Amino acid sequence: MIPAAVGYHRATSLEDALEALAEPDAKALAGGQSLIPVLKLRIARPSLLVDLGGLELRSIERDGDELRIGALATWKDLTSSLELDSSGLAGLADCASSIGDLQVRNRGTIGGSLAHADPASDMPAMLLALGARVETRSPDGERSLSVSELLVGPFTTALGERELITAVVLPVPPPGSGSGYASVEHPASGFPLAGAGALGRPDGTKAVAITGVGARPQLVPESGSLDDVEVYGDRFAPESYRRHLAGVVAARALEIAQVRSEGRR
Amino acid sequence: MPEPLSLVVNGEPRRLEVEGRTLLVHALRDGLGLTGTHVGCDTSQCGACTVLVDGRAVKSCTLLALQAEGTEVTTIESLAADGELHAIQRAFVEHHGLQCGYCTPGMILTVHDLLEHDHDPDEETIRRALRGNYCRCTGYQPVVESVRAAARALAT
Amino acid sequence: MSESLIGVARPRIDAPDKVTGATRYAADGYVHGLLHARLVLSTEAHARIRGVEKDAALQLDGVVAVLTAADLPVVKSGTDRAAEPLARDEVVFAGQPVALVVAESEAAAEDGVEAVVVDYEPLPAVVDLEAAMTPGAPPARLSAEEAGGDLESIHAGVDKGEDDAEEEQLSANVLDSVTRGSGDVAAALEASDAVVSGTFRTPWTYQAYIEPQVSTAWLEPNGTLVVSTSTQGSFVTQNELFRAFGLDFDKIRVIAEPLGGAFGGKFALVEPLAAGAALALRRPVRVALTRTEDFQATNPASAQITELRIGGRKDGTLTGIEARMLVDRGSNAGWGVEGITSLLVAGPYRWEAFDLRGYGIQTNRFTFGAYRAPGAPTAAFALESLVDELAEELGVDPLELRLKNALVEGDTAVSGNPVPTFGAVEVLERIREHPLWARRDSLPEGEGLGLAAGYWPGGNEPAAAVCRVDSDGILTVITSAADMSGVNSGFQVIAAEAFGMPPDRVRVVTTDTASGPYAGASGGSKVTYTVGAAVLKAAEAAREKLLAAASQELEIAPDDLEVVEGVVRAKGAPDRSITVAELSRKALRFGGRYEPIEGHGGSAQTRGAPSVAAHLSHVRVDRETGEVELLRHVIAQDVGRALNPALVEGQMRGGATQGIGWALFEELAHDEDGRLLTGSFLDYAIPVAERVPPIDTLIVEVPAPDGPFGAKGIGEAPVVAAPAAVVNAVAAATGVRMRRLPMTPPRVWAALTGTEEPS
Repeated sequence: MIPAAVGYHRATSLEDALEALAEPDAKALAGGQSLIPVLKLRIARPSLLVDLGGLELRSIERDGDELRIGALATWKDLTSSLELDSSGLAGLADCASSIGDLQVRNRGTIGGSLAHADPASDMPAMLLALGARVETRSPDGERSLSVSELLVGPFTTALGERELITAVVLPVPPPGSGSGYASVEHPASGFPLAGAGALGRPDGTKAVAITGVGARPQLVPESGSLDDVEVYGDRFAPESYRRHLAGVVAARALEIAQVRSEGRR
Repeated sequence: MPEPLSLVVNGEPRRLEVEGRTLLVHALRDGLGLTGTHVGCDTSQCGACTVLVDGRAVKSCTLLALQAEGTEVTTIESLAADGELHAIQRAFVEHHGLQCGYCTPGMILTVHDLLEHDHDPDEETIRRALRGNYCRCTGYQPVVESVRAAARALAT
Repeated sequence: MSESLIGVARPRIDAPDKVTGATRYAADGYVHGLLHARLVLSTEAHARIRGVEKDAALQLDGVVAVLTAADLPVVKSGTDRAAEPLARDEVVFAGQPVALVVAESEAAAEDGVEAVVVDYEPLPAVVDLEAAMTPGAPPARLSAEEAGGDLESIHAGVDKGEDDAEEEQLSANVLDSVTRGSGDVAAALEASDAVVSGTFRTPWTYQAYIEPQVSTAWLEPNGTLVVSTSTQGSFVTQNELFRAFGLDFDKIRVIAEPLGGAFGGKFALVEPLAAGAALALRRPVRVALTRTEDFQATNPASAQITELRIGGRKDGTLTGIEARMLVDRGSNAGWGVEGITSLLVAGPYRWEAFDLRGYGIQTNRFTFGAYRAPGAPTAAFALESLVDELAEELGVDPLELRLKNALVEGDTAVSGNPVPTFGAVEVLERIREHPLWARRDSLPEGEGLGLAAGYWPGGNEPAAAVCRVDSDGILTVITSAADMSGVNSGFQVIAAEAFGMPPDRVRVVTTDTASGPYAGASGGSKVTYTVGAAVLKAAEAAREKLLAAASQELEIAPDDLEVVEGVVRAKGAPDRSITVAELSRKALRFGGRYEPIEGHGGSAQTRGAPSVAAHLSHVRVDRETGEVELLRHVIAQDVGRALNPALVEGQMRGGATQGIGWALFEELAHDEDGRLLTGSFLDYAIPVAERVPPIDTLIVEVPAPDGPFGAKGIGEAPVVAAPAAVVNAVAAATGVRMRRLPMTPPRVWAALTGTEEPS
């Protein structure tokens, strides 16, 4: 299958990209691993693709108490980054390595994935648990949103038409923390039927978030109860199963996180 | 509207004209006659179209040709040098890692990426690395054996 | 003599081309002035076509034509896919091709498809199999049909039973009902120590060859239609095109290109579209299905519902079997698997009494087609599940129960025919010896082992082949059999062994219908058994020519000569010799004195050569998630004689893996209106590397008396009982018997927790 006719612009800078996005129905293209399949199915029909691939937004670095992940960092970059080599951030690498396949991880980017806002995407659960925020740029300037502010519904974000994610920023968990990701995948798509990211801190506090079960990723309430969590069912996996599965993966992710936080990684 | 594209394919600088919507796989097959890269699905699952872009395995059906501007693309046609099969190719032949062969070029290029970064992958690592390469004929075990044999050959 | 070449593992002869990307598949050939086509597919499962609005599409850049049924020069009436490549007035399944957009590029054709508007008048869609057969059910097709198609005979050389004599009240959607009976089943079950029964459901499943169907057609200046295509059979395709378009037979030439997988699914579906468009437009046209088109518009395997009841005695004797099998044919009025599936449901066992019924039912889903061992995996799923349950009820070891009742040569099968050479006992004994079987009662919690056996009867069809030595001294084998499952590599060994040539000095050429010796389609596990037998005779005939020439050259009687590794030499005096290459040079030249070293061979097998396989599957079930993980799988198969064990093991592993797919992943599902819900690899799962366990292969050789060097067809048998083995393993691990495939995590979890199972 082949996309509908579309213009192409290779952005030379962030400013250039924002300018190109002024064209009606223009759309930003990062790694393309979510967008191009949608273009091929002609579900999306932008007038112009603004390719961000040439921009320098790929670095992953520690900045004081924060980890900054450039929006164009690929899943492969995350799985091979030494910055993630700590028990508190190990869940991030776990999660990235469970996404797609080797080829997709070579191209797919964290910023592109978040902007696509697939409700079955793995990473948002992990990012929610870690308390991540995204930084954006638009002609109006820069702003910062939490992941739950960003992802408002299936394939829907709070981003403006000419607003680009530039980085994902998250607080580095205190030493002695552990994080983990667990999911059960659909056997065809590889997307999670339910996925959960968890963070356990040495003071005993924890955060767990789930994905794949509802319209958007959700933090599990302090109580751990999933009764009030919104869960969708479908032909393959009915709501009752998904709700149950969300509890299973949440417990498993937390178990991984706690084992790691106890230093038994 | 056709746009110019210049890139290096199998070591040769190439220039061609493509549409904005042209996928890399079609540029390679239709534009350059490199039909060893195959189309097997529409949805980026099967991996029959896998090529190397700057040394990394990617699905050429999920990449616009214009995104490959300025890159070095390697397809299955250039893996054998001077008539000598690459160690991975030889391993697939000798260890029966193929039947119909339609998935094979993509498999081999994914394995090329894997073995660049992991010189001695275990069975689980190999099977995980092949998640994005469907084979309907072999049951994968001979493919796994081929990858191990290739890793051994490349180590010596 | 040198050592036999038979039974030596060696690489496929096509492997070097395939690992270098040199193989040209059917989508790869360059054709001058080629046009590309995309399909407009019906969005309705059942409807009348009121009209097709083409104008908007024709306005688009690059679009050359929008063709509907009336535009194709089809002369044949009937409803089979060759006679009706595009729907005429009535669409009978969602995904049925309605129009063909032909354009200068694939992209433009796709643009055109979006712009075509079809006006439908919806009709009641028949999607529920059981409801479809009830009297009063709406018909799945209104237009009068005419049974057509010669494709049934390709798949199995077995009788399809008798037409049902008893009057049963059935709707007109029941196109065929067959019954086989012997003895008094009710009495046999009554007198049994245990009787078990169940209703088993299997979904539509997709062959999922990685190469989508593709066909290119063009007209030569003299009017010859040439079709270069991904097909399992060149002659069968030529016949279908002949019937469809009424051209002179010799004006149709079909070239079977290297196949990127087929598994029963590649028979004259896209060729009539490409040929029809080329004839209509007088330009070369390629129909290369996208995966989306391939999912919707081709011919997957039937969904089936099987009600089965079997009985046995405490001494371990099977008594009676009663089966009622509903087969969903979709739109296929020409043939169905109700005959073969209701034969195979009896399994490789003796029964004292049986009553086996099969019903072929039309619905508004797909066009049914063949898929590796059509009708067999679902039959084995039902039977082998119940055999395990019966063993438990009777307190008999499940392997010993199977062994005690296994058919042996000379028994009478439920077909009424004598059982030919048959390896059921041998394969079960090999499984019994496998170390995994000994562990069956000592596995950790949550793990289980499952056993199952099944067979495929194999097919027969006359075939011919040519072997000749070319002037480069290479023995060339020429056949028209599409190289599926590596048959060419088998021909190489057969010819080399029969002629006396090193295998690397034998090449195999697949030629087209214009010049090739006859071969039926590659299917039904018959190519090695039939075409291979012809190759053997052709090689022997060529060898006679060789010896005649050598005899004159060396002045030694032919009987005193032997051929060893490409050299003809005197027995006992090996230095009196001449090479095959030298002799061929002497023959193939102006003024040469010897006949070309070329032989023709034919075969017409009459005896069947069934292949039987037993599986042992080791699983672990995650009770929390319902996930089934395969830890190991073992297959023991009677292959007659393994010409090239590497390729035989390839078939065994590949077949077992597809069976694993049936067991755990694969399902084509429709919504209640008959629209496909699983029309891409995002929804339809096939086994990927990380979900398939290591598979041990145990080759069992019970030579087929008529097969070349004892070989038989082996491609289909390995899939038959694989799903059943996984089902039995899940039962052993959990105590829960799954009656519906595939065993997805939600279904397993529902079964384990007693909650409602997803549909």
